[in-house]
Amino acid sequence: MTLTWTDWQAIAVPLVLAVGAVAVLLVDSFWKSASAELRHTVVTLLTSVVILFGLVFVWAHRDDFMPAFCRSAVEGPAQCSLVFEPLTAGLWAVLLIGGLGVVGLSAYRLLAADVPVGEYHFLLLSALTGATVLAGARDLATLVIALEVVSLPSFAMVALRRDRRGSEGAMKAFLVSVLSTAVMLFGISYLYGVTGSLYLSTIANRLTGLDPDLARVAFAAGLFVIVGFAFKIAAVPFHAWLPDTYVGAPIEVTTFLAVVSKSAGVAGLLVLVTSGIAPTGSQLRTAVAILAAVTMTVGNLAALRQVEAVRLLAWSSIGQVGFLLAPLAAADAQAVVGYLAAYVVVTLGAFGAVAVVQRHRPGGLLADYRGMVRSEPGLAAALIFFLVVLAGLPPGLAGLFTKFAAFQAVIDAHLGWLAIVMALNVMIGLAVYLRWIAELFRLPADDPFSVDIETPAVTMISLCTAVAAVLSILPSIMFALAT
Amino acid sequence: MNAILLTILVLPLLAAGALWSVPAAIGDRLAAAYGSVISGLVLVGSVLLWPQHGGWFAYGPHDAPATEIDVPWIPSLGVRFHVGVDSISVPLIVLTALLTFLCCLYSLKITPRIGRTRSLIALLLVIETGVIGTFSALDLVLFFVCFEIVLIPMWLVIDIWGDHHDAAGRKRAANTFVLMTVFGSALMLLGFLLVQRVAGTFDIVELTSSPVAGGHGIPLAAALLIAVGLAVKVPLWPLHIWLPDAHAKAPTVGSVLLAGVLLKLGTYGMIRILVPVLPDATATIAPYLGAFSTVAIVAGSLACLAQTDVKRLIAYSSVGHMGFIGLGISTLSPAGLRGALFANIAHGLITGLLFFLAGAIKDRHDTSDLRAIGRALYARLPRIAALLTFACLASLGLPGLAGFWGEMLVLLGAYDPAPWLPRTTFLVFMVIAGLGTVLTAAYFLRLVRNLCQGDPAEHPPAAFAVDLSRIELITWAPLITLTVLLGVWPGLLLHQWSAL
Repeated sequence: MTLTWTDWQAIAVPLVLAVGAVAVLLVDSFWKSASAELRHTVVTLLTSVVILFGLVFVWAHRDDFMPAFCRSAVEGPAQCSLVFEPLTAGLWAVLLIGGLGVVGLSAYRLLAADVPVGEYHFLLLSALTGATVLAGARDLATLVIALEVVSLPSFAMVALRRDRRGSEGAMKAFLVSVLSTAVMLFGISYLYGVTGSLYLSTIANRLTGLDPDLARVAFAAGLFVIVGFAFKIAAVPFHAWLPDTYVGAPIEVTTFLAVVSKSAGVAGLLVLVTSGIAPTGSQLRTAVAILAAVTMTVGNLAALRQVEAVRLLAWSSIGQVGFLLAPLAAADAQAVVGYLAAYVVVTLGAFGAVAVVQRHRPGGLLADYRGMVRSEPGLAAALIFFLVVLAGLPPGLAGLFTKFAAFQAVIDAHLGWLAIVMALNVMIGLAVYLRWIAELFRLPADDPFSVDIETPAVTMISLCTAVAAVLSILPSIMFALAT
Repeated sequence: MNAILLTILVLPLLAAGALWSVPAAIGDRLAAAYGSVISGLVLVGSVLLWPQHGGWFAYGPHDAPATEIDVPWIPSLGVRFHVGVDSISVPLIVLTALLTFLCCLYSLKITPRIGRTRSLIALLLVIETGVIGTFSALDLVLFFVCFEIVLIPMWLVIDIWGDHHDAAGRKRAANTFVLMTVFGSALMLLGFLLVQRVAGTFDIVELTSSPVAGGHGIPLAAALLIAVGLAVKVPLWPLHIWLPDAHAKAPTVGSVLLAGVLLKLGTYGMIRILVPVLPDATATIAPYLGAFSTVAIVAGSLACLAQTDVKRLIAYSSVGHMGFIGLGISTLSPAGLRGALFANIAHGLITGLLFFLAGAIKDRHDTSDLRAIGRALYARLPRIAALLTFACLASLGLPGLAGFWGEMLVLLGAYDPAPWLPRTTFLVFMVIAGLGTVLTAAYFLRLVRNLCQGDPAEHPPAAFAVDLSRIELITWAPLITLTVLLGVWPGLLLHQWSAL
C-alpha cells in the first residue's frame, strides 16, 4: 500500500505533532548547558509552533474533504481509516486550541518547578497526536489505538511530580483506563464478529440489514464500546476515578485532563455515534441520552457540596460532560463542537485563575477566594465571567447559546424528558457556580488575596477572557466550527 | 427613533461598565449622581419613544413607522437581534426607566448600610438594560436572553445589600429567587424551542401574524411550558414561594425594582408571546390560568392578613395584585387584556411607592416587624404615615386612583370573557376575585390601623430627626402624581390599547 498525497495531507498534523514531541524531548535532554529559563522558553515556543502549525493547517483546509488510507469495499463506498472533513477540522481546532492553552499556562514560573519540562511537553504533544488522530479516525482499530495514545501520556503526566497524591491519582486513572480499554476491545470484537468489518462506514451499512438475534449482539457490543468511552470521559457511573486524579495531579496537568483529554474522548464518541454504530433511532442513542441525564445530575449535585476549588471544577466538569452527551445523543455535531469550544476556552481560563491562587494558597479552598472582587479585581472579574459562561447565564452568552443549541438538538430529537432533566440541571449547575461567585463578591476578610500575578498567566487569562467575550457576542463562530 | 431605542438599551450597560472601571473610593461617592444622570437620560429617551399611534406589532395595518431594528445574530441557530417597541411595550419601558431613575435618585442620600454604592448603582443599570431589552425584544431567544440578564445582578443586589440583620436569610432568599427563576426560564426556553419546531421561526412579529394553530399536542406542551416559566416570574400561586423572602430581604431599591418592574416581565411575556403566538393552546389553558390567578388573589390576601412584617405584607399583596393581572390575561378579552396592561403599570407605580415607604419606615426603626415598630405612626411620622395610607388606598383599588381601573377592567373582562372560553367558570372567578378585593381592603385597612393609628401616649413620638426628608419627597412625588393622574385620567394609557 503506497501513501497518496491525500494520505500525507490528512496525517500532516498528527505527524508534525509527533515529530515535535520527539524534538522537544531531545532539546530538553541534550541541551543541559542552557539555563532552566531559556530551556523552558525554547521548549514552550517549539511546542507552540508545532501546535500553531496544526491550527494554520486546519484553517487553510477547513472546507476540504480528504479521505485517507482508503481501500475499495465490496459493497458501498470506499472504506477509509482516517478522514479529514469539516467536522474533523472543527474538532481539531478545539483540541489544538486546548493544547495551546495548556502550553501557555505551563510557561516558565507557572509550571511547578518539580515537573520535568521536556517530558511534560513530550507527553502533552504525544497526547495531542493521539487526540487529533482520534477525531479523524473512521475505523475501530485506529480509534482504539488513538485513544490509547491519548490515555497513556495522560496518566504519565499525572504522575510526573512523583509524590504520593500524584501516584495515587495516576494509578487510579491507569487502572480505569486499562479496564475501559478491555471493555471496549471486547465490544469491538463482537462488533467485528457480527458485521465482519472494522470500518465504521461498512459497519453502519451492515448493521441495518442484520437479523434480529445478531442485532441484539450488535447492540450489546455497541454498548460496551460506549461504556469504554464513558470511562475515559468520566461519565457517571464510570466517573469515580476523576476527582482524586484531578486533585492529585499538578494543576497544569489537571487543566490538560479537563480540556484536551476530555475533548478527545468526546470527539471519539461523537465520531462513533455520528458515523457508525448508532444510527438514527438506534437504542444506543437512548443509552447515551440516559448516560447524559445521569452524568449531569450526579456531577452537578456532587459539585454542590465541594469546598475545594479544584474538586468543584472536577465535579462540575462531570456535569458539563453530561451536557455534552445530550446533543451527542441526538448526533448533533454542530451543537457538540460548539459546546466543546466554549467549554475548552472557559475551562482553560478558570483553571488558569485557580492555578494563580493555588500557587500562593496551596489549600485551594473556596474560602480563599473571598473578597477577590476588591483585592484582585481583574482576576476576579475574569474568573466570574468564566464561571458564568460555565453556568450558561448572561453575560456568559457563549455558555448560554451552547446550552441553547444543546436544548435545540435534544428537542429536535424528540427527547423531551432529557430536555426537562437538562432544565433542572441548568438550575443545579447555577447553584454550584453561584456559591463560588458569592465568595468572590463578599467583602474582603482579614487577609484578602492579592499578589503580583505572573505575566504569562495574565496574558493567558486575558486571552481566554477575550476569546470568551468574542464568542459571547458572536456565538455563530462556535457553531461554524463544525459545518 | 431606532437610534433612541438602541441608546436606551446600550447606554445603561456601557455606563455600568464605565462605573466599575472607576476606583472604588471615587466610584462610591459619585455613583448615585452618575447613575441618576444616566438613568435620567434613559428616561427622557424612553418618553421620546412614546408611540404616536396605538397599535400592536403585526396586529392591524403595519403603516405606523414602527421603531424596529432587525439584524441577523446567530444564523446557524435562527436567532436574530430583533427589537422594537409598540404601544404595549413603551409604557412598561417608561415605567422601568422611571423607577430606575428614582432608585438612583434615592441612593443619592439613602443607601444600604454596607455601602459599596458603586456596584449597587452599576447593577441597577444592568438590570435596567435587561428589563428594557425584554420589553423590546421581538425575537423569542432575545427575549429569553434579556430575561436572564436580570437574574445575576438581582441575586447580587439581594445577597450583598439585603437585610443586614440576617445574612443567612438574605442569602437563602437570593438563592431561592435566582434558582426558581432560572428553572422557570429554562422551561420557557423549551417552550420556545417547541414553537420554533412547529413554526420554524423565533420571530415574534412573524409568529403573531401567523400564529401556531392547534390547542393540543405540541402547541399545548409549548404553551404549558411557557406559561409555567412565566408564572414563576409573575409569580402565580403556587409558584410564588420565592417572592415574600426576596422582597423582605432585599434592600429598598431592590424591592422597588423587583416588585415594580421584574414581576411585569412575566405578565408582559404572557401578553406578548403566549396569547398571540399560541392562541388556541392558550385558550385551552386559560381557564386553569384564571383559576390559579383567582386562587392567588384570595391566597395572597389571606396571607397578608397573617403577616407581621410590613415588607412581607406588601410582597404578599403583590401576589394578589399579580393574580388580578393573570386573571385579566386569561379572559383573552379586550377588556381583560387592557385591564391587565393597565394594572401592570398601576401596580408598578403603587407598589414601588409602597416599598419605598416600607423602606423608609424600616430604616427609621431598624426593623420591619410590625410589632416592634409599634402603633401611632400618625403621631410619630405624620407625613410618612399619611403617604402610607394614600398608597394603601391606591393599592386596594380606591376609585379615583390608579389601582382602581385595572382591577375593574379585569373584572369586566371576566364577566364577558372571549367567546370560546367557558363563561360560567369565569363568572365564578369574577365573584371570587370580587371577594378578593374586599379582602385586599381588609388587610390594607388593618395595616393602616395597626401601624398608623393608635394612642400616641402609648407610643411616644420617638426622636426621629426627620419625618419626610427632601430626597424622599422628590423621589416619591412622581409616583404619587402619576397614581393620581392615572386614576382620574385612565384614558391616557387606555387609548393606546384601543386597537387590541
